[in-house]
Amino acid sequence: MIRETLALTRRELLRLGRNPQAIVTSLLLPILYLLLFGQALNFGRLFSSNPAEFVPYVNGAPTYFSYFAAGMAGFVAVTATLFIGANVIFDRLFGVLKRIASTPASAISIFGSRLLAGLVQPVGLAFLVLGLAVALGPLGLSGLHVTASVGVVAAGEILLAIVILSVMFASLFLAIGFSVEQPQTYFAVVNAINLPVLLTSAALYPWGILPGWMQVIASYNPITLAVTVLRLDLFSGAAAYYPYSAGIYLLGLLGWAAAMILLATLLARRALAPRQ
Amino acid sequence: MGAKDPAGSIVAGELTKTYNGTVRAVRGVSFAVRPGEVYGFLGPNGAGKTTTVSMLSAGLRPTSGRATVDGVDVGAEPDTVKRRIGVVFQESTADGDLTGRENLELAAALYSVPRNEVRSRVDGLLERMQIGDAADRLAKTYSGGMRRRLELAAGIVHSPRVLFLDEPTLGLDPQGRAGFWKYVLELRQEHQMTVFVTTHYLEEADGMCERVAIIDHGTIVAAGTPGELKDRLGGDIVTVRPSVPNPSLAELLAQVPGVVAAVAQDGSCRLKCTNGEALVPEIVAACVRAGVGLQGVSLKRPSLDEVFLEFTGREFREDEGLSATDRAVMVGRVRQQLGGRR
Repeated sequence: MIRETLALTRRELLRLGRNPQAIVTSLLLPILYLLLFGQALNFGRLFSSNPAEFVPYVNGAPTYFSYFAAGMAGFVAVTATLFIGANVIFDRLFGVLKRIASTPASAISIFGSRLLAGLVQPVGLAFLVLGLAVALGPLGLSGLHVTASVGVVAAGEILLAIVILSVMFASLFLAIGFSVEQPQTYFAVVNAINLPVLLTSAALYPWGILPGWMQVIASYNPITLAVTVLRLDLFSGAAAYYPYSAGIYLLGLLGWAAAMILLATLLARRALAPRQ
Repeated sequence: MGAKDPAGSIVAGELTKTYNGTVRAVRGVSFAVRPGEVYGFLGPNGAGKTTTVSMLSAGLRPTSGRATVDGVDVGAEPDTVKRRIGVVFQESTADGDLTGRENLELAAALYSVPRNEVRSRVDGLLERMQIGDAADRLAKTYSGGMRRRLELAAGIVHSPRVLFLDEPTLGLDPQGRAGFWKYVLELRQEHQMTVFVTTHYLEEADGMCERVAIIDHGTIVAAGTPGELKDRLGGDIVTVRPSVPNPSLAELLAQVPGVVAAVAQDGSCRLKCTNGEALVPEIVAACVRAGVGLQGVSLKRPSLDEVFLEFTGREFREDEGLSATDRAVMVGRVRQQLGGRR
């Protein structure tokens, strides 16, 4: 099974590498968000006389942009997984999935390879966002100020949060890809999920200005869980604003991911089993 | 049917497939393909050929009936069957964004070809299929014939015991078809593979298959060697053209042993006989003995067109409308759309 999975993962990566337009397009989103949206929507300016007054609204982050950049890393990771399920549908339409399903390759290998290869883009883009956000500060723009000392454990937690978040959404979108036949249906369903999930997360909103009911919803949102880990590890003052340690949020995120992997595996098995 | 079925064989018992509970694509077909045989499933579009291949290759569950392939029960052990067979589908299934070589390497890995053999097998197949020069080009740049050959290579990279070819030469010109079959027959000879092919090209079934089953509306209407099927029509047609019209010629030649029927037609005499080639000298001798001068004698073997006509009562036409699968999908979609109103 390992050999099958690696061979199919290689296929996915070769295809990704041969599609530079998709890579360039995926880079545009985070760059535009950081250079335009993040620079323009700088809530911290409202408190320009005493920026420290704004810190409680952004749960201990030094600036709104810093808070926003961590959220943006999570948001970008999620959006980069959107197309992963669409590829299943295109592979089905072009007959490639039929060929693969006719071989002894297991459904777990077929699902697992797409998941593995599908992590490259979201994880890469999330770290690109963090790196770019840090680099903007010295250029005289709003930038990400890391106020905590990020050691090996914190760096590992950040990596895990982004990987698990990507796994979770990649699994969800793969589950949808294995379940629907037409690309139009896929994108309709994905959009119906993606936007509400983003808008009910604390990726972009300052936590302190959220209504209480929305804080409740947002606190269970997987994007919130992931970006909370990032904020706890990047900002020294953040721990005072969150009830749990990063490990607990990672566990919550892991629960989400496990549920989605289970769902996607079941749907992949059903889709690849001999048709009824 | 079961464990006793020999390696390399394909045995189907009352295989039936009904889509959506109403569209009966395959209606209880039974047949046995011998190891190493090239067996053809001949029929028009929508006859149930692809559905049968899908059931035999573990891609589709039959509604009822059983099948074994290479001695393995398809329903009970679909994964084992998949390991032992190769499938070439009628549509292109190669990954256009991979090179020809990468497509074959992927197939080799999925079929667990020993790692140390992958390179030599892939190189060998690329050369053999005459796509060696294009091996490192993306498959989407290949011509139709090259893609078909790549599909064939991907289907046999693991040296399967049984090879299923579902309308493998669809869309190829006669030269491309001949080339494709040359490779299939060579490979079959070398690897003693059993080949099960569906086709709606009569001449393909006639020329390439050792035995043929004619399927129509999901039912096998006739089966046997192409020669046997034609013989069932009464054999060959010998047309005798006398130098001068002779009304009693048909009566005379009907007496020749081996002539099944003799009919006067447009000044000639049309004879049906079991073995025309052997009978022509005797027919000529009978004419000479009776003092009938001859302008010419011609021999025609009946084609599978006539066989199809004989057993189905219809002309064999390529355009028979939607296939059973297409019909099922269409019926499903129409039902879906009507769902809210019914």
